[in-house]
Amino acid sequence: MDQKKRLLIAGAILLVILGVVLGVDYLQRQNAATQAPANMPPGSIPIYVDGNFVGSFIPDDLNQLPAVSFVDAEEGKTQDGWLLRDVLLLYLGEDNLQDRSQVTVSSSSREKSKTFSWAEVEDHQNMVMFDLSGRGTLKLVSVVPGFDIRDSWIQDVDKIEITSP
Amino acid sequence: MKQRYFSTFQLILLALFSALIIVAKIALRTPLQLSGHSGLFWMAIIIVGARVVPKLGASSIIGVTSGLLASFMGLGDFGALNTFISYAIVGVVSDLMLWILRGDTENMVVAISVGVFGHLGKFLTKWLFGIITGAPIGFVALGLLKAFISYVIFGALGGILGWLTLKALKRAGFFAYMAEKR
Repeated sequence: MDQKKRLLIAGAILLVILGVVLGVDYLQRQNAATQAPANMPPGSIPIYVDGNFVGSFIPDDLNQLPAVSFVDAEEGKTQDGWLLRDVLLLYLGEDNLQDRSQVTVSSSSREKSKTFSWAEVEDHQNMVMFDLSGRGTLKLVSVVPGFDIRDSWIQDVDKIEITSP
Repeated sequence: MKQRYFSTFQLILLALFSALIIVAKIALRTPLQLSGHSGLFWMAIIIVGARVVPKLGASSIIGVTSGLLASFMGLGDFGALNTFISYAIVGVVSDLMLWILRGDTENMVVAISVGVFGHLGKFLTKWLFGIITGAPIGFVALGLLKAFISYVIFGALGGILGWLTLKALKRAGFFAYMAEKR
């Protein structure tokens, strides 16, 4: 077999891989769409207040949110995305959030969660924000001491819960 | 006495290339906020390594060794096993491509192909890990396609950078020098 044929086969394999990746992603989205409520599009992040579903954070709303970024001290990488504060204010408004409200962001696949007080989330200096990971899921990052290193950050976020005192 | 497949000198060279991947990963920072941008230097190092030690398995050794180093250094967001496999697979797929194409990375098209597929190996590992661990589907609908394209582009650019480096090394007489040493 000559080199040209091998390269053509390599190109075909590349397209097959792309097809498989997108096909599996499509099936996962279809599957998620059938299981989730109509007001919770696949890939969106549900927001609960005191156990009640109030809305879903959807990508269409990103253009309403100001983009922010910071450089993490651990690896010097730029983390850019959208403040959790802005997301919550967009969906809940200020009236539903008090300083002592607890905001928990979690990932079921990672079995990780982090709880902040609303005062911590609201403080712009803390940079409690979502960064978009390479495969398109959300990662909760911040510069809050104790939650400023990669190991502590919440990758693959799939739930936001607010509990009021 | 039976001759070993890799000489001690070659293994040392491969270990140095592995260390170079880790150093580059930690020290080289690009302002690009695109997934897979590290493939630019990563694949270049693999391609140069595969030519400096032109034997099947050389890239795999670079991949596995850099994977071990990266895992012990705690690199990556998804745990040691994911980090190890991601790094190792880059070398293994690069070797596989070199074997399939029966090519020499001094050929630019071969270098680009090795760069693209080697780097895609890392993308697929991360993607498969996401599926296995039940990671949620992407928040952004076309995020996966964007990441795929980004990995392909940076893998190809890494291939070109590796090919250019090899050309420069050849012009500088590096390979003639190495042949004399043998």
